[in-house]
Amino acid sequence: MTTIDDFESDEHPMLKRLIKLGLVLLAQGIAVMLIGIVALLVSLFVSLDPAWSATSEQATLLQPADARSGTLLLKNDGVTSEAVRLGIDVDITVSGPTLRARVTQVFRNPGKDWVEAIYVYPMATGGAVDTLKMVVGDRVIVGDVKERQQARVIYEQARRDGQKAALTEQERPNIFTNSVANIGPGETVLVQIEYQEPVHQSGNEYSLRVPMVVAPRYNPSPVVQSVDFRPDGSGWGATKTDPVPDRDRISPPVLDPRKHPPINPTSITVRLQAGFALGEVKSHHHAVKTESPDATTRIVRLADDTVPADRDFELTWKPAAEKAPSVGLFREHVGDADYLLAFVTPPTLDQAAQKPLPREVVFVIDNSGSMGGTSIVQAKASLLYALGRLQPNDHFNVIRFDDTMDVLFATSVPGDAEHIREATSFVGALQARGGTEMVPAMRAALADKLGDINLVRQVVFLTDGAIGNEQQLFETITAMRGRSRIFMVGIGSAPNTYLMTRASELGRGAFTHIGSVEQVEERMRGLFAKLENPAVTGLSVKFSEAQADVTPAIVPDVYRDEPLVLAAKLDKLQGSFEIKGRVGDRPWSVTLPLQNAAEGKGLSKLWAKRKIGDAEVARTMRELSPEDADKTVLALALEHQLVTRLTSLVAVDKTPSRPEGEPLKLSELPINLPAGWDFDKVFGEQMQRVPAQLLERRADASGRTTTARRLAPAAQPDTVRLPKTATTSELKMIAGLILLLLSLFLFVFNRRQLLAH
Amino acid sequence: MPRFHPPLALALVGAILFGDGASIHAKAWLAQVLLERAFAQSIATGQPVKPWSWADTWPVAQIEVKRIGAQAIVLAGSSGQALAFGPGHVEQTADAGERGVAVYSAHRDTHFRFLQHVSIGDDIDVTRSDGKRFRYRADHSAVVRFDASGIDLATQGHELVLSTCWPFDALTPGPDRYILHATLIGPVNQAADR
Repeated sequence: MTTIDDFESDEHPMLKRLIKLGLVLLAQGIAVMLIGIVALLVSLFVSLDPAWSATSEQATLLQPADARSGTLLLKNDGVTSEAVRLGIDVDITVSGPTLRARVTQVFRNPGKDWVEAIYVYPMATGGAVDTLKMVVGDRVIVGDVKERQQARVIYEQARRDGQKAALTEQERPNIFTNSVANIGPGETVLVQIEYQEPVHQSGNEYSLRVPMVVAPRYNPSPVVQSVDFRPDGSGWGATKTDPVPDRDRISPPVLDPRKHPPINPTSITVRLQAGFALGEVKSHHHAVKTESPDATTRIVRLADDTVPADRDFELTWKPAAEKAPSVGLFREHVGDADYLLAFVTPPTLDQAAQKPLPREVVFVIDNSGSMGGTSIVQAKASLLYALGRLQPNDHFNVIRFDDTMDVLFATSVPGDAEHIREATSFVGALQARGGTEMVPAMRAALADKLGDINLVRQVVFLTDGAIGNEQQLFETITAMRGRSRIFMVGIGSAPNTYLMTRASELGRGAFTHIGSVEQVEERMRGLFAKLENPAVTGLSVKFSEAQADVTPAIVPDVYRDEPLVLAAKLDKLQGSFEIKGRVGDRPWSVTLPLQNAAEGKGLSKLWAKRKIGDAEVARTMRELSPEDADKTVLALALEHQLVTRLTSLVAVDKTPSRPEGEPLKLSELPINLPAGWDFDKVFGEQMQRVPAQLLERRADASGRTTTARRLAPAAQPDTVRLPKTATTSELKMIAGLILLLLSLFLFVFNRRQLLAH
Repeated sequence: MPRFHPPLALALVGAILFGDGASIHAKAWLAQVLLERAFAQSIATGQPVKPWSWADTWPVAQIEVKRIGAQAIVLAGSSGQALAFGPGHVEQTADAGERGVAVYSAHRDTHFRFLQHVSIGDDIDVTRSDGKRFRYRADHSAVVRFDASGIDLATQGHELVLSTCWPFDALTPGPDRYILHATLIGPVNQAADR
């Protein structure tokens, strides 16, 4: 038996081994295919493994860790998980020439910690903020206006003592901050502010604008120092280190709209009492529902209950009559003084009677990253429209800027077909990227190289105004404006209206807003009516009997279709006042009796707000020393209870709420990115930006003869970075095969060894 | 039988590696099949059509080199994700047929493997998603660094550049790129072509 067994075990093991080997190989083959298929499916469904997805070289430059301090980065820890929730309600009542707005911010703390919430929000530029109320449970605490430092001390004290407190501060005339201390776990605190604002009028159209989000600002880096010499001429000076010293205070975290749903739901109600029979009432950027209780009243609400706070709300209305009233006169009695608000629209001369003056127009277009998305489309369309309107006897030039700039022609050139064509292709090729160095562009635009005094010199500046160093720009305008007039065109869903109004005021021009491509033609036509028709100049105001403190103190020129808006403080409401000026070559005057003025609301606050604005302008223009300007602003603010650069509103609930020993966490409330903006263009660019070495390249006049002249904007890289186009597939497959062979070899070797025993 | 385990583990790792490497090819091939369908649809509708619902890119053009029978569907964008499925149209370069230079980039081991067989003088046809077809002729090739391509974006001509990694048979990624430059001859009359 044993022999047979031995024989069989000698004959069959060889066969068995071969079969086993074959089976193992087969199993391995199947395993490879299975794994291959699984890997394929996984990688198709979720791109999990970055090893094979060759990333483009550029992406490595965008590491968040490379961000400078002061750039906006979303804080992933804390803010998202334990974030304080915010809801906003805006309630506006328009009564004739003024509006009163009540903004309620609801801060809810869903977390388990005691929280201090800080929310940075935009303010209507002409808005005079006078009221702060904090609602905790059923208690309402009314805030007081204090000097800024004092208000901060009161707030900090309350914060330390565990009392609920709210503080409203002005960072810019159109950026405010609300801080709310000691919101307990699960608690809700309401903070309500109220402001007064004049209604804006242009031609036949009245409008109001509610900004809802502070657009991320480009804050130039403090690398380039500027020097302040002492006024005594001793030659000693101090370097100013930072053009935006308060950059942290105006840079709240911004959510990437691709990664987060919109936040800060806002509801808006406008009660419109125009004082005349209303025609068309239109919301430009939001769908609304309108009720009409009577001919002069409308109640406008959002069609959706709430919208995310990511764009300005703009409402315009027109009278049912063909022409808007050309004069509006309103009065208010406060304390022992009367306040007057007057709207006077000067007559317009017939186009035929007037030969348009030849002009030199310098167009400046902002193609920085913040203009990415829809803004650059609007800006280009506006500029192309403007180029189309030029006459052959006009001169023009085009400047584009981001953190570099290009001046298209060495000096302004005639607006003939060839030059227009060249400019059109230059503008057409622009792309939005890079930082926003606005000051050098403004300087280049104001340089009056042609110096032809027969030409009216105009600068048309298209931008979203998303910069933090507004003051530097204003100083540039003041120093260099010469005989140029500056017309600002505010582009996009959340333009910096303060920059637009103040720059055009200092530049003795006008401004307009373009919030969508549909608005381009209408608004640019309006702007060109202002550019092409003579302004009403040499305006003066005289009161027959009353002692008047009028603002603006020096009446500015008024452009076509704009009303002259005057506010005055009077000792008595008697007699009349006369406005004199020139429309083109012709003298013009109008006399208005004060007795006919209608009762208005909040006019004293508007007068004070405008006086404060005057003092700030005088400070910029060095007509007032900083100390004198501050003194004037402070006195007006305290008398009329307004929030300004130097005064804040503070409210403290005396009942302590946070138990001693409980920690307080800070929560900086994130905001939305303005609608139509491109997150990467703003933040990607800022992160990889090296300290700006300002490049100024001029298109050479002689370069026009060569056809190969580069019209591509300097912002574009000179050469293409080619993406990474190698995979590691071969490497992996070869390595895999080697391992398989090795295992096979080991397997066979093991079997041999096993069998040998 | 504890001694059987090391070879088995080794086999498993090897299989995974091999499968992973093979999946790149499988994905590149499968995606092109899906892309062809989407591209045909987008020519028919005139709208960008995503090849699968969760794709973050869409076909923009088709490249064809008739002589060697090679073709590929080009995707919008040149991110790594897009390049895994097909050649990418590098951002900010012109569209095919337009003034300027259109740059298409793809992996040397998948979609642009055929680039090594394209010789100077070959015709390269590019069909855009609006159905228009343009014929380019390859006129020179070069090996450059990724960040010094020398491609002139502001060119006044109508140009095409196909780019991939160099050298073709290398195993590891490197900084060198092979670029094939072509100049537009003119639009192709498709009816006559068929």
